[in-house]
Amino acid sequence: MTATSAPARDGVRSDGRGVLPARRRRRLPFSPWHLVLLPATLVLLFPFAWLVITSLETPAEALHFPPVLTPHVLRFANYPDALASAPFGHFFLNSAIVAVATVLSNLVLCSLAGYAFARFRFLGRTALFAVIMATLMVPFQVTMIPQFIITKWLGVHVLAAVGINHLGALILPNAATAFGIFFLRQFFRTLPLEYEESARVDGASRLTVLIRIVLPLATPALATLAALTFLDSWNNFLWPLIAITSTNQMTLPLGLATFQGAHQTEWTLLMAANVMSLVPMLAIFFGAQRYFIRSVAATGLAGT
Amino acid sequence: MAAECGKATRRRRGRWAVLLTVLTAAAVTAAGCGTDSNGSSSANGGSATIQIWEGYTQAEATAFAHLVSEYEAQHPGQKVSPLFVNNDDTLQKVLTAVRGGSPPDIAYLYGSWAPNVAQIPQVVNLTQVVKRPGVNWNDFWTGERAVATVNGKVIGIPAVVDNLAVVYNKTLFAKAGLVPPGPGWTWQQFQADAQKLTDPAIKQYGTAYVTPGSEDTVWHWEALLWEAGGQLLTADNSKAAFDSAAGLTSLNTLRTMAVTDKSMYLDPSDSAYSNLFNSGKIGMLVTGPWDLSAFPNVHYGVQVMPSYPGTSGGHQTISGPDNWVIFNNSPARVAAAEKFLLWLTAPAQDKYFSVQTGNLPTRQSVGDAASVVQQMNAALPGVGAFISNLSNVKQARPQIPQYPKISQVLGTMIVSVLLGKSQPQAALTAAAQQVNQILAAG
Amino acid sequence: MIGSEHLAGWAFVTPGVAIIALFGMAPIIWSALMSFQRNNLLSPSTPFTGLANYRQMVHDPIVAQAIQHTLIYTALFVPGTMALGLFLAVAMNRKIRFIAFYRTAAYATMAISTISEAIVFIWLFDPSYGVVNYFFSWIGVPPQQFLNSPSQALYVIVLMTIWGWTGFAVVIYLAALQGIPQPLLEAAAIDGAGPWRTFRRITLPLLSPASLFLAVWLTINAMQLFDEVYLSTQGGPLNATTVLVYYLYNQAFQDFNFGYASAIAYFLFLVIIVVTVIQFRVGRRYTYYRS
Repeated sequence: MTATSAPARDGVRSDGRGVLPARRRRRLPFSPWHLVLLPATLVLLFPFAWLVITSLETPAEALHFPPVLTPHVLRFANYPDALASAPFGHFFLNSAIVAVATVLSNLVLCSLAGYAFARFRFLGRTALFAVIMATLMVPFQVTMIPQFIITKWLGVHVLAAVGINHLGALILPNAATAFGIFFLRQFFRTLPLEYEESARVDGASRLTVLIRIVLPLATPALATLAALTFLDSWNNFLWPLIAITSTNQMTLPLGLATFQGAHQTEWTLLMAANVMSLVPMLAIFFGAQRYFIRSVAATGLAGT
Repeated sequence: MAAECGKATRRRRGRWAVLLTVLTAAAVTAAGCGTDSNGSSSANGGSATIQIWEGYTQAEATAFAHLVSEYEAQHPGQKVSPLFVNNDDTLQKVLTAVRGGSPPDIAYLYGSWAPNVAQIPQVVNLTQVVKRPGVNWNDFWTGERAVATVNGKVIGIPAVVDNLAVVYNKTLFAKAGLVPPGPGWTWQQFQADAQKLTDPAIKQYGTAYVTPGSEDTVWHWEALLWEAGGQLLTADNSKAAFDSAAGLTSLNTLRTMAVTDKSMYLDPSDSAYSNLFNSGKIGMLVTGPWDLSAFPNVHYGVQVMPSYPGTSGGHQTISGPDNWVIFNNSPARVAAAEKFLLWLTAPAQDKYFSVQTGNLPTRQSVGDAASVVQQMNAALPGVGAFISNLSNVKQARPQIPQYPKISQVLGTMIVSVLLGKSQPQAALTAAAQQVNQILAAG
Repeated sequence: MIGSEHLAGWAFVTPGVAIIALFGMAPIIWSALMSFQRNNLLSPSTPFTGLANYRQMVHDPIVAQAIQHTLIYTALFVPGTMALGLFLAVAMNRKIRFIAFYRTAAYATMAISTISEAIVFIWLFDPSYGVVNYFFSWIGVPPQQFLNSPSQALYVIVLMTIWGWTGFAVVIYLAALQGIPQPLLEAAAIDGAGPWRTFRRITLPLLSPASLFLAVWLTINAMQLFDEVYLSTQGGPLNATTVLVYYLYNQAFQDFNFGYASAIAYFLFLVIIVVTVIQFRVGRRYTYYRS
């Protein structure tokens, strides 16, 4: 009875699923939700606006308090200046390598572990999950020294590529995170068991069930995990600060720190570099929106 | 339909698997391309690479890079590999590296850390090194040498020196019809000027003070304590001595401006005050030469700090030098590090660095040269006054490991008085009690 | 068959757990050992002092304050962020124009560095020049001291961090909302249920696994608050915003009491464990998994 094929045009309220029977006549030419979302988004994005404005100011104008929100002169040269002041191409590449590798390995390892914690009953499951969660509960300032020593040992005795001053040292400790395992465990548990059970009855191995049945249903969660893990890796500062000892291995956050002196900060260049570091990430996120929405094919499998 | 989907997914998955493998391999290979440039030296000790951690930005970074390439050109076989680390973060990185067995060869460390850093076994004792001919240890200012020495042991070579003076807005003074500060001025005059420069209607303040409760809060007050003729601790560093008439006088000066006159802008962020001054909202600041380049929009003047007439303190000021510290990785690298540092801090290089950056000369011979002062004043007006103010640095803060804890107690004391939460005498007594406990605990 | 489930379970978890165990657990055990020493990170001599660090904690008045501040902060931050995030996510989860922009905006708020947010907030809440006091002057409220006031500073930090974390809650809830099957909501609509009732009876329970995740995750993070305090108030004024991790950082890297800092970290660790276990227990009763 519901018209699932009715166009979801503005003016008819829809919650993205189907079309509710129209109850009231719309007086606004757009969905009333914009009245909530637009102001809320503008408020949330205010620091971003300040960031962009500062990145276009002259250094003298940036040294004002209260901050100048309408600069007299726009200085676009801040962007090439920022790029020229340190080997940012290199920093960008390093950050990209570390982030991509971290995301891929998390997607694989956390899916495996999260699924096991969600669906399998095995000896020591609760204890192991508790141990994993426990690693989230001690602040990094305390664990960074032992982590440095372990990383150094691995670099010397196991594989040079994961030792101090290598990008591997930035990838490996975060190759699987308790966050990812916990998040996917929660998500997997919301999926109805029927599909997995019927596939098992049909003789599929557990791994096949995970890859063929569960993961396609979990695309929004996987995309979300990828986005959050990428962000975390991209912005990670403290561990790279401790683990990297040469300029050509530095990542973007360390590169941004080169604008902050002991007493003076080059705000205009720092904000320009910040914008340049944020924009690619946001562009990819914006472009990949469809992965965050459950694919119709997947819902088609649901039946009713 | 499920079967068809399955086939399509299998093909897609196959491609994903390949992509995944390729990317991971690329990542690991790229990761493996990182070099461990933690410094190295050949067996014969002839050539060496030393690693130096510093936090230079802007003009300092350019000047330092120039000096490094000049050194390498003049000394073939010697390589210096700098790594940028924010000065605030250097301690964490150094302590971790030391624990992990891979300290840098040279690191730029705040002077306030010196008494504690001296306890690290890998820190090289430079007492004999600075006595070598040509080094001229006494050419460094008194305050610097005091901070580089812990219990008679020289643990660092001065990297930077500064001091506190008053930077004032000439335009605001003229507008208020006030006589600009003269070299003999007093704290009473400062207070009166601040009051006259304060105008709540246009949100203008006579002066400002930073109130994060950190050492930045404390050292500004310590200068006043010394000017009032007081001392922080007894001569043997065993008991608090600031709970005195001088302590009361100095705290009252601040309190009057903050609480009674309300002529003092309180800045807990430790960063807004300089932008406010540059926006013409503050009349006078007690600050250092590093802030001068942050005031491009203001017509400013520099004057020595005011004094308390009738006390022995005069126009004394306080200095916050920082040190280059050498860590022992191997005898060859220590030798190379010493060679570089002595060259870097020699008068010729000190002169170049100061002129290029506006940092005060670390050597008296350089600071006393009129041509240097002239050049620097032309590039950064007012810096000459800071250079001559270096002769007003008569003493240093207590060089004891407990100083950070004492500083926290004092920071809380000052902030609570400035916020009007406690009376100066009571605050001094309570703080002295706590400090004595800390000193007794040893 | 049952044996194979044990085997499968361990096979699936081992790679991830191995990494977490090596880089997570080993340092934690190491730090536990340090909490029983007098360790200043400088000299190699680290004598075993038993429970001395823990006893010092009991008598340290700042630790008591830090505990109080950490708990108050967490109690305000977690529900605040979850509520705001849920509201915005539900608002965003529809086919309206610019939806991609709104979602990206939520993500962008997480991407902005903490220092930028800290600077903006310090400005907005400046007692003399800030925008908030400016608005207050319009509605007749006297100017407040905010970050200069020991009684208000912590609440400003709460607002600052809710602002910074709402995007995270939105992104998580949006993912979870995708897991709610269309037919259920359509059926409810057909049966005449209004949007609020549908939300309360269907959406909210189906979101409970995500809510549990958020509650646990946000709590764990809130109890370890550090960056915003470090970048804005430095624990002040007068220790009003000193929370446990900031205090232990001070102890470790300013006062060189690393053993003591490790003890405080351990105490915090125990508190977080207790709170998390309680959350899971309560969650078990109220979380609805469709399986």
